[in-house]
Amino acid sequence: MAAEKAQVVVIGGGATGTGILRDLALRGISAILVEQGDLAHGTSSRFHGLLHSGARYAVKDKEAARECLEENMILRRIAPNCVENTGGLFVQLPEDNAEYADQWLAACAESGIPTEELDPRELRRNTPVLHHRVTRAFIVPDCAVDGFRVLWSNVNSARRYGARLYTYHSLTGIQQSNGKVTGVELTNQLTGERKYIECEMIINSTGAWGGAVAALAGIELNIIKDKGTLVAYNHRLTNQVVNRLRPPGDGDIFVPHGTITIFGTTSVTVNDAACTKPGHGEVLDLIKIGQEMIPDLENYRLIRAFAGVRPLYQAGNTAGGRSVTRNFALVDHQERDGLQGFISIVGGKFTTFRLMAEKTVDLAAKRLDVTAPCRTAEESLTSPVSEQWLERGKRVFGIPGAKKAADRLGDSFQRVVEEAEKNPDQRKIFCECEVVSLAEIVHVAGDGDSFTLGDIRRKTRMGMGTCQGTFCSYRTLGALSGYSQFAGNHREYLTKFLQKRWKGIRPVLWGQQLREAQLSSAIYCSLFGMERML
Amino acid sequence: MTQENRLALDNCIKCSICVSHCPVAKVTERFAGPKQNGPDLERFRLEEPAAVHPSIGYCSNCKNCDVACPSGVSISAMNAKAKGEYVTLHGAPLRDKILARVEQMGKASRLAPSLVNRLGRIKPLRVLGEAMMGVSSEMTMPTYAKKTFLEMFQPKKITASKDKVLYFQGCYVNYNTPEVGMALAAVLAYHDIELTVEPFNCCGLPLIANGFLDVAREYAQKNVSKLQQYIEQGYRIITTCPSCNLTLRREYQELFDLDTSQFNEQMMDAFEFLNLLDQRGELKVELQELPKRVGYHQPCHLKAAGCGIPSLETLRHIPGLEVRDLDAGCCGLSGSYGFKKEKYPISQEIGQNISRAVQELAVDQVISECGMCQLQVHHVTGAKVYHPIQLLAEAYHLA
Amino acid sequence: MMKKNTDVLVIGAGLSGLMAAAKAVAQHKKVLLVAKGMGALGLSSGCIDLWGYQINQPDKVCTNPLAEIAKLVSHKPEHPYAKVADVLPESIDFFLQICHQNKISYLNTNRNWQLPTALGTLRPTYLVPQSMAVPDLAEVKELLVVGFQALKDFYPDVLITNLQKNTPLGAHCHLKTLMVKLANQELNANTLAHLLEKQAMLEQVISQIKPHVLPGMVVLFPPVLGEQLGHEVTEVLSEKLGCSVYEVANIPPALPGQRLQKALLHHLKTQGVEVIIGCQVTDAQITEKRCQGVVANSNGKIMEISAQTMVLATGSFLGGGLTSQSNEIKEAVFGLPVKVCPGKWSRQDFLSLAGQPFHEFGVAVNDQLQPLDDQGQVLLENVLITGANLAGCNYPIEKCGNGVALASGYKAGKLVGEAGR
Ligand SMILES: Cc1cc2nc3c(=O)[nH]c(=O)nc-3n(C[C@H](O)[C@H](O)[C@H](O)COP(=O)(O)OP(=O)(O)OC[C@H]3O[C@@H](n4cnc5c(N)ncnc54)[C@H](O)[C@@H]3O)c2cc1C
Ligand SMILES: Cc1cc2nc3c(=O)[nH]c(=O)nc-3n(C[C@H](O)[C@H](O)[C@H](O)COP(=O)(O)OP(=O)(O)OC[C@H]3O[C@@H](n4cnc5c(N)ncnc54)[C@H](O)[C@@H]3O)c2cc1C
Ligand code: SF4
Ligand code: SF4
Repeated sequence: MAAEKAQVVVIGGGATGTGILRDLALRGISAILVEQGDLAHGTSSRFHGLLHSGARYAVKDKEAARECLEENMILRRIAPNCVENTGGLFVQLPEDNAEYADQWLAACAESGIPTEELDPRELRRNTPVLHHRVTRAFIVPDCAVDGFRVLWSNVNSARRYGARLYTYHSLTGIQQSNGKVTGVELTNQLTGERKYIECEMIINSTGAWGGAVAALAGIELNIIKDKGTLVAYNHRLTNQVVNRLRPPGDGDIFVPHGTITIFGTTSVTVNDAACTKPGHGEVLDLIKIGQEMIPDLENYRLIRAFAGVRPLYQAGNTAGGRSVTRNFALVDHQERDGLQGFISIVGGKFTTFRLMAEKTVDLAAKRLDVTAPCRTAEESLTSPVSEQWLERGKRVFGIPGAKKAADRLGDSFQRVVEEAEKNPDQRKIFCECEVVSLAEIVHVAGDGDSFTLGDIRRKTRMGMGTCQGTFCSYRTLGALSGYSQFAGNHREYLTKFLQKRWKGIRPVLWGQQLREAQLSSAIYCSLFGMERML
Repeated sequence: MTQENRLALDNCIKCSICVSHCPVAKVTERFAGPKQNGPDLERFRLEEPAAVHPSIGYCSNCKNCDVACPSGVSISAMNAKAKGEYVTLHGAPLRDKILARVEQMGKASRLAPSLVNRLGRIKPLRVLGEAMMGVSSEMTMPTYAKKTFLEMFQPKKITASKDKVLYFQGCYVNYNTPEVGMALAAVLAYHDIELTVEPFNCCGLPLIANGFLDVAREYAQKNVSKLQQYIEQGYRIITTCPSCNLTLRREYQELFDLDTSQFNEQMMDAFEFLNLLDQRGELKVELQELPKRVGYHQPCHLKAAGCGIPSLETLRHIPGLEVRDLDAGCCGLSGSYGFKKEKYPISQEIGQNISRAVQELAVDQVISECGMCQLQVHHVTGAKVYHPIQLLAEAYHLA
Repeated sequence: MMKKNTDVLVIGAGLSGLMAAAKAVAQHKKVLLVAKGMGALGLSSGCIDLWGYQINQPDKVCTNPLAEIAKLVSHKPEHPYAKVADVLPESIDFFLQICHQNKISYLNTNRNWQLPTALGTLRPTYLVPQSMAVPDLAEVKELLVVGFQALKDFYPDVLITNLQKNTPLGAHCHLKTLMVKLANQELNANTLAHLLEKQAMLEQVISQIKPHVLPGMVVLFPPVLGEQLGHEVTEVLSEKLGCSVYEVANIPPALPGQRLQKALLHHLKTQGVEVIIGCQVTDAQITEKRCQGVVANSNGKIMEISAQTMVLATGSFLGGGLTSQSNEIKEAVFGLPVKVCPGKWSRQDFLSLAGQPFHEFGVAVNDQLQPLDDQGQVLLENVLITGANLAGCNYPIEKCGNGVALASGYKAGKLVGEAGR
């Protein structure tokens, strides 16, 4: 069989890689994206979900701040269903350096970031969970962004222009001849099968894995891996993003995301990009710091903890932590290492993924002699669901159900609503915590990109709510037994799913979450005897 | 609703025990149940207040969910608030506005109570009422008394009265069953206790149950300030209606964030008060023998109060009387709920447990504290139903 | 403040509290039972597990749990069974008798049953409600699993796929599935159970199943066959279909556990126990190793309850008997010391065969069920601890949750019944 061909193979299905895929496709360059797990397997789902206004970086790095602001505005415009326009607050406490506030204000003004001062008394009225000692508060245009949705929207948009995607495929070899890239070897992570693709160029956008991928080409690329731990609260603590107004540090941001709040983060240098195990100790440290802003924090229920690894790049430097620049680096290996057709893009932020992709593809296009300009900022990533369809959706899924499904499904929302209208059976709410219908689950299961229960979870939020999948995973498995990828080995599918959830629950295993875990363990062991299941 | 109660949603472990104990969810699939309507959606309402399931109107506010929940989630309060949200957004039928205004209905019926009663029994009119207003033509209408309790009651000065007692009679006793209030008055007078009465606003429960929280809040504020004055003067407040009691003590606090901490101490069911007398050795226990067997139905709101069945303790003193707990759960009527055309079948289906128990125990008389329960138990079983205080008055020869 | 006085106060309405109250009242004590909410019994399968697997071969089912428990007493003396093994047989008899009186019959064959679950696993259990007593599957030739389209928690395909892997079925056993379709879009287990008690509905169900029934067939249903006590729906189905019909254990809500809970609560009321649910005990007055009384919160109202003896049947974390913060675990009512494995509350593997350590946390007791401190000294003389609140039992793995609750509850009831005589 002849090997598949593409001009460019992009490695890494994170924000950067999917952004690149879309940019390539929109410029008419044939491209394949390769991802070792599901999309967002890496840092792009293990992050805070803050669409920066730039205010956080204003003092230290105006360039980065300006980029954030610009990209923030673009993403709100092109992908409204991926962004929750919450607005953000910066609050200062008496123990924080008062002068920093003025310095920060000036820096924001310089970078063009709009700020508005809020009377602390008004703040207390509107957001009573915040500490009454807050001395100053400002409003900035921060937003919450949904990583999964952005990534899938990128890919779906790219697909409309002929781009291809291989998830659960790992890059395991790079073929080159005469100092030129000629192809890649991929290994299917579910079956172990190998696959080869001929190409003229490889773009390495594997974030924290960037060094390992470059090594496959025999090239050294130094990336500092900086682990950050985050926790998810069971409810929305505030309706706005809340930042601490002081130089960026640990535990200083709360981001509301739909039903939950994500709070973090920390910063520890690690050796392995896959080191995403959050620790109990880290969580306790975080809560302690967070209590300075929200005194009652200890009493709110945590549902899980997770960690992501920041890929930080600084040519020739090995010092880690927050002092390293968050700006990104584009490495042209033709120039640096003499390997033609190999480009790495490293560092950056989620917020600026589109810009990073634009710069990367500018370089790639130049090398491939393509002149088409970048269009990713103009063309909409998703089209908003119309009022009419939302109304129809409400009739079958109820108010939060329809609204949330519309945000998640974007362009596919209509199809799912129609299905549920035709087939009342599918209106059943399967995930009751996050209000996800059977229709949506079935749709996602059959979209050709879903191979595990975890994939369905990421796309629908099934199993991401309070019970962390205890009830809905069993149901979903049952309802999907018509799909070959969910039919054969129930024990394995369910165990994997529950185990992944458990990994996040263990670091926050106390209070209500311990009760929940006891219930879950009693259901799967006491009632089902699953620990001894064959 | 208080923030503390809202955030009790964090305590929910999704066990569905509340769903299994919800009398409505048991008999109809039209109601999405306490878990989904309560803590599940409350989590969404922190972001979007309109996140209310359209089936919210099916919650009868019986509070069995709260009682069963092992996690202390204020489910019924979340539902009541959501219903308010829903009514604000979508409006409510005229019927609900009328049924909820028990106080005004009572006042209006004063013009010609017997006429109202007669009209309530004319089947064609009821059929018309069902067609035009959605009020079930099947349900027995409460009958209005010729004279209200406040008109009948003759205050008696008792100089040596040990306790200062104010009676919150509630709309149903005042307009429909003044004999209950009169029985209480007689029993207290028999114990040389002076009873004070006063016109109050409706406790607001029917309004809350129909989603008219703003009007209910107004009533609540007025009632609280009036009652507070009595408490400051050293009065105890007693009730014969468990729903009024629970609304004043709990709903005012949970839903309207009013301080009712003193009510919890000073407000009690009439029988709790009598038991207190008993504990002090002041209850007269020379009672006439009543050699009969009656069934007892515990109103949901008395169950929700979580202090047992005070009347059964007192009635134990009556020689020869055998009281058998029906143990049949919710009666199904839940105030105005069972009068609504679309809810009537649900309410009757729930009430089947009552008929079954009455049959099994072979009783033809039933006692129950709540006026609405009395109505429904009679409606589904045909048994004679009255308030336990009437039985006590009888045993004291006061009836 | 409201005051109440009683001989015996039982705190908790789980299986252990219900048993304690039943036994105490049977000995003519004045008994008051208060509970914050419903216990775990209604969430359970409704079967009483005693002990599932062999002590030295934890992957092999033990046939005679009573014999295994006798071994356990010396093997693991801190296990709750070691404190209550003396009353185990009589507690079972007592339980069976109450069930019988209240129209739910349980079967006792003096050995472990292996019953299929909705997931297609087999679980060993001891006392089984009549409606769940599936015969040995190795003998069955025709097996039909019936689900309901409207019920989202039961999937016949999942059941049979896994049953084939997990059960030694007879070589010629035919497995079939069937989805019953009703007009209803979605029904939860309780609503469906209620509907199935309507004759017309049951007829509809029967007419859909009947054509698929073969002689000697065993038909498995989700645990929704009626909400009333008695096993009427199961019996009618068996009779009209002409085959044996059973309910299998499933994720809650499920009816068999709820029925047992209802039967026991009803029993207590008829025996004169005052039962108050929705009443949380928040504090206790203790002088010199004796509890004089407790303070309870009844929906905002504070109540003082005094009693000669108290049974603490408040369960584990789930029930509310134990509460936890990030680094601390407490017994909720008396602040008794809780036996924990410091630094190790959980295991990395969610379904570990060794069990999650947190299930084992609880209060240590002597064989009078009185709470002990680290030194083994009695802390409270008139307070007895039962059920999931006891230390040393990992019921989800050992399969002994309701068994421990039953025996310890019974023993506590017996001891308080004898006290003061
Ligand atoms: C704790 C934390 C909080 C953060 N918060 C924010 C925030 O609030 N806002 C913000 O803008 N930014 C935030 N960031 C930064 C942001 O998340 C990252 O910069 C961004 O997600 C990186 O995206 P990426 O596509 O470059 O990398 P990734 O998302 O990690 O994608 C790389 C992908 O490559 C795949 N891969 C690796 N090796 C191979 C291989 N051999 N074959 C195939 N595929 C391979 C991986 O599986 C992975 O999916 C945060 C980062 C962290 C760690
Ligand atoms: C999902 C699930 C399935 C199970 N399946 C089975 C099975 O199939 N077979 C089996 O044998 N076992 C099973 N078990 C285990 C078994 O049901 C329990 O271990 C057993 O019922 C525990 O009973 P308990 O009375 O000790 O406590 P619980 O049932 O937990 O009851 C505790 C009671 O105490 C009350 N309470 C707590 N604190 C207070 C307070 N401060 N004041 C007042 N009241 C309070 C609670 O509200 C509750 O009523 C299962 C358990 C679960 C959770
Ligand atoms: S509200 Fe209470 S009873 Fe209902 S699911 Fe939640 S914890 Fe269970
Ligand atoms: S208040 Fe009654 S009807 Fe409403 S949800 Fe609770 S149990 Fe059901």
